[in-house]
Amino acid sequence: MSSPPPIEVRQLRKVFHQATSGQAVVAIERLDIRIEPREVVAIVGQTGCGKSTFFDLMIGLEAPTEGSIVIGDKTPYGDFDHFRGQIATVFQQDRLLPWRSALDNARLPLELIGLPEEVQRERALTWLKRLGLERFIDAYPHELSGGMRQRVAIARAFVVQPNILLADEAFGHLDEVTAAELRETFLALARECGSTAILITHQLEEAIGVGNRIIVFGKSAKLLADIKVAQWPKSEHAMLREAIQMTLQSNSPDPRLARVS
Amino acid sequence: MIQEHRELAVDPRFPRQTLVSVLVFCIVWEILSYLAPSLGIPAFAIPSFVRIGQSLLTITPIDVAVTLARVIGALIVSFVLGLALAMAMYSSRSLENYLHPMIRLFMAVPVVSWILFAVLWFRGVEFRIGFVLLAVCGPVFLIDSLDAMRGVPRDLRGMMRSFRPTTLQFFIKLMLPAIVPSIITSWKINLSLAIRVVTIAELVGAVTGIGHQLAVAQELFSVADVFAWTLVLVALLFLLEALVIRIESRLLRWRP
Ligand SMILES: Nc1ncnc2c1ncn2[C@@H]1O[C@H](COP(=O)(O)OP(=O)(O)O)[C@@H](O)[C@H]1O
Ligand SMILES: [Mg+2]
Repeated sequence: MSSPPPIEVRQLRKVFHQATSGQAVVAIERLDIRIEPREVVAIVGQTGCGKSTFFDLMIGLEAPTEGSIVIGDKTPYGDFDHFRGQIATVFQQDRLLPWRSALDNARLPLELIGLPEEVQRERALTWLKRLGLERFIDAYPHELSGGMRQRVAIARAFVVQPNILLADEAFGHLDEVTAAELRETFLALARECGSTAILITHQLEEAIGVGNRIIVFGKSAKLLADIKVAQWPKSEHAMLREAIQMTLQSNSPDPRLARVS
Repeated sequence: MIQEHRELAVDPRFPRQTLVSVLVFCIVWEILSYLAPSLGIPAFAIPSFVRIGQSLLTITPIDVAVTLARVIGALIVSFVLGLALAMAMYSSRSLENYLHPMIRLFMAVPVVSWILFAVLWFRGVEFRIGFVLLAVCGPVFLIDSLDAMRGVPRDLRGMMRSFRPTTLQFFIKLMLPAIVPSIITSWKINLSLAIRVVTIAELVGAVTGIGHQLAVAQELFSVADVFAWTLVLVALLFLLEALVIRIESRLLRWRP
């Protein structure tokens, strides 16, 4: 597979106008980031800081108010159809279609691309097996546990072997053991596919464990810190954690983060 | 407690109360039919069940078939048009803003007015009947489908759009399956509506159909015939409803 294109976020701004009050909510103030191909990035930030909005803009579900996201030389909103089969998302809730079996849920993105049905089934089956669901391919979502449903959602994201994988607090609602297990699987598969992966999380352990890079969002997605985890030896992870915690609490970069990077 | 009681009352596996009430009605009717002459009521007004049975034997299947065909045909057309318009209105806010008040207005028009319009505007009997059924049932399909589409969770719509479907795929893979439960509910409502409306429409000018036969029975002062045709209508409605329920349980197998 060819290398995924870099992601360039330039002067990105998103303002919502609340339907009821007409008040403007600045979800993203000004954001500049560049994400290299195959990077695994964790984004942390407090609830309401604009993480999901950033994802909606990345997916192309929303238009930027100003600025742009450029992937390769295309924009996910403007060139919406260009990215069919290239960006896949695992959401906070599994968002499976309740009337479809696990297999039919997993093959949905392939249906939309228009692959022949046997190919769809075969590929979806392969991924479901890799996620340990071979015995549940015909089960409806309501017959599966939360963890299993999220596995189906992960299979659904991977079937197209996307260039870019997004996960929005995808493991936050599961118990710790299941969450850790799924996270490992997700990362291993992402590396194997050679995808760029961006994970939103509010758990710092998860962020430090996951990324080669941690991006810390303040209010209105203000870029508070951009941390290369490799620069922090394992022995200093506790300190890193504390520094990020302080950064989040004070909504301004902790000096310890600046010192190293 | 109250909930339990209600469920019991409509549970088809417990038809005891139903049987009792029907039986009581029949007995009272039969007694009245014997007492009628001595009460000064003309004998034909409350025919005995033997007389009604004779009328049932004279039921002409062709009239039942014609009425059934009109109902099914008009419902299918209403459904397709209603759903198509609902999809268009879902896709375009401005179209909805223009059309929604009109549809509400349509729904407030009495059936009798539609029948009069039909008689004034159309020559062909089938057109008249079709028009009336479409005017009555179409808006129900439309509004129900539109409301149901608006009720599809935002989460699922976002998920679907994140995989970049075409507009057609978006409707076929997400919106239509999601609104199947509401569509079935509107079919149930419209079936009983259409069965009742079609007979009134057939009273005006039709030379076949159950409505026409009811009109004939009325001219002949034959209460027994009216009773028999009414029984046929009710039976038809129950049969159709049973069919919809079968289809429903097939389509909604995925439900917990
Ligand atoms: N569709 C919308 N309309 C109005 N305001 C919105 C909308 N989506 C998000 N917001 C607002 O934007 C801000 C950021 O929300 P969100 O991106 O969901 O935060 P997070 O995912 O980090 O918790 C919040 O204040 C939220 O109320
Ligand atoms: Mg969020």
